[in-house]
Amino acid sequence: MAEEIKSQVEDIRWPEGVRLPVVLTFEHQSGEGAPLFAGERPNYMVGGAMQYGARRGIWNILELLDKYKVTATFFVLGTTAERYPETVQAIAKAGHEIAGMGYGFESIRTASEERERSIVQRASAVLKDIAGTKVQGWRCPDYRVSPQTIDILGEEGLLWDSSFLNDDLPYLFKCRSRTLVEIPFTTSTADKTFIGYPYPQRGGADGLASVWSNEFDVLYRESEKSPRMLTLSLQTWATGRPAPLRVLAQFLDRLVGHEEIRFARCSDLAGWRLNGPGMKPA
Amino acid sequence: MWNEKPYKKSFRWPQGVRLPILISVHHQSEEATCPFPDGQSDPFDYSERQYGARRGAWRLLEIMSAHSVRGTWLICGATLEKYPEVSRAVKKAGHCIAGHTYAHEMMCNVPPQTEISLIKKTVSVFEDLLGEHIRGWRTCFASHNTIDLILEHSDIEWDGSMWNDDLPSLVEGHGREILEIPFATYSDTALGVDITNPAFPPTRFSTWNANPPDFMLRNLKLAFDALYERSAERAVMMPLVVHDFISGRPFRSKVFDEFVTYAKQFDGVVFTGHDQLAEWCRNTGEFGKE
Repeated sequence: MAEEIKSQVEDIRWPEGVRLPVVLTFEHQSGEGAPLFAGERPNYMVGGAMQYGARRGIWNILELLDKYKVTATFFVLGTTAERYPETVQAIAKAGHEIAGMGYGFESIRTASEERERSIVQRASAVLKDIAGTKVQGWRCPDYRVSPQTIDILGEEGLLWDSSFLNDDLPYLFKCRSRTLVEIPFTTSTADKTFIGYPYPQRGGADGLASVWSNEFDVLYRESEKSPRMLTLSLQTWATGRPAPLRVLAQFLDRLVGHEEIRFARCSDLAGWRLNGPGMKPA
Repeated sequence: MWNEKPYKKSFRWPQGVRLPILISVHHQSEEATCPFPDGQSDPFDYSERQYGARRGAWRLLEIMSAHSVRGTWLICGATLEKYPEVSRAVKKAGHCIAGHTYAHEMMCNVPPQTEISLIKKTVSVFEDLLGEHIRGWRTCFASHNTIDLILEHSDIEWDGSMWNDDLPSLVEGHGREILEIPFATYSDTALGVDITNPAFPPTRFSTWNANPPDFMLRNLKLAFDALYERSAERAVMMPLVVHDFISGRPFRSKVFDEFVTYAKQFDGVVFTGHDQLAEWCRNTGEFGKE
C-alpha cells in the first residue's frame, strides 16, 4: 500500500508571483452517478438532472471559462466521453486538463486489483481515443479509494490523484513504482453539497456564493504567511445551471485579474509540488 | 446509583460575569468514521474527517489565540496518540483539556466493563503523552451507566455529556460528587452539516449535506442575543460546540471567527473553559431543592 511521504509546509513554495493557486475541478458525467432505486433499478429523475451536465451544463461552463480566460481540470467518465465525445473534444481544445474518474462510475472500494486496474486502463484508453491526450490524473468517482488505488495509478503512469479530502495542500505518496502527487479537495465547498439533487436544496445558489466567498477570504488571508491553495469540486450538472453559473461568474469576477491569484490545472500544481521551491511559473 | 441536585433560582455567576461562553472544541478527527454495512470504514468519511487533525484543529487554535479566548478541548485518546503535536500546542496555549472517550466509541452500545476500561485507557494516554491528569469528560453517545462509572471508577470532576439543562447540576454518588455541565445545539453539527452517522450508514453515492455559513452565523447570533437578553435577570451560559473537521474548514472557520468577534463586544461576556466554570459553580452556585 502506498505511503504518504511526510513533509512540512516549508517544502512547498509556489512559483514566483503566485500567492494563491486556484484549482477548479469539474466532474463530467451524464447520469451514471445517480443513486439507484432498490433492486438496482435506474432513477431517471436524478439521472436526468445529472444528464443536464453533458447536454447543456458543459457548454455553459466552457463559455464562461473562455470569457474569463481561466483553465480548469475536468474529470470525465468513460461512458460520458463515448456518449458525448464532442463535449470532451471541446474541453481539450480549450486547453483544459482532462483527467479520469472511472469508466462507468464504478465503485472500487472493495474491487480486486485486477478489476480496478482494468477500469483505469479502459477509462484512460477511451479518453485518449476521444480527446487525443493521455490522462495524467484521477479521481475516484465516489471519492472512495481502495487500498491499492494509488499504487495502480502510479503503475499506469499517472502523475497525480485527487481522491482524498484531508488537507489544504498537495502532498506526496511513495507508491510501488514512483512518487505520486495527491491534490486533496473537499465536498464541504462543493456545488452539489448546497444545490444537489432536485430536492431538497440546502442553501441554494445564494448559499454557495457565501461558501466560496468565505473560503477565498480565509485562504487568501492565510496565504500571506504560509502556502495555501483553493480547490473547488464542481459538477457540470450542478454549476452548469444558470443560477449557480452566475454565482461562479461573480466569484471569477472577484478573482480574475488579481495579480497574485493563479488558476492552475491539477497537473500544473502537481508539477509545482514535485519540482519544489524556486521553479518558474508554468 | 446517584442523585442529582439541580441549580437553584438563586444561582449566580461571579461579579462581572454576565454570560459565560464555553467553547468546546471536539478534537476527534477521523475517530468517528462510519463503516459501510460490510464493516469496512468509509474512505470518503475517513478522509473528510482526517482533515480535522491535519489542518482544522490548527486553524481553530489559531483563531482562539488571535482572539485571546480560552476554551475546552475535548480530545479522543486515539487522536492524541496519532497527532500528539496538536494536543501539545493546545496545552501550551493554556486551554482546558478533557477526555472525549478513546476512539469516539458509542458507549450506549458497550457493556459497563468495556466502558470502564476505555475511560481508564484514555486517562492513561493523557498522562503518558501529555503529562495531563484529566479532570473532565464528554461522551457524545453516553450509556445509562456513564455517570455511575465516572463516579465510581475515576476521579473526573466534571462531565459534559448531557443535553438536558440550561445550567450545571451537582451529581452525588459512590461517595463523591461531580458537576454535570450540559451542552446544547449551539453547535456546528446541529447548524452546519449532516455528517454520516450510524443511523444512516454510508452508501457509494453519499456525501455530506450542509447549510451555508450565513445560515450558521445568523443562528448563532440569534442564540447569543436571546441568551444575552435573559442574562440580565438570571444566570445562563452558552455552550458552543465546534469540531476540528467541521469548523476547521476555511469557510466555516470564518463563521466561528465572526461569531467570537460579535460576542466579544458585549459587556460581561466571558469566554472560559469547563474547569473555570466548575470552580465558579462550586464557589458561587447554589444547588439543591428550592
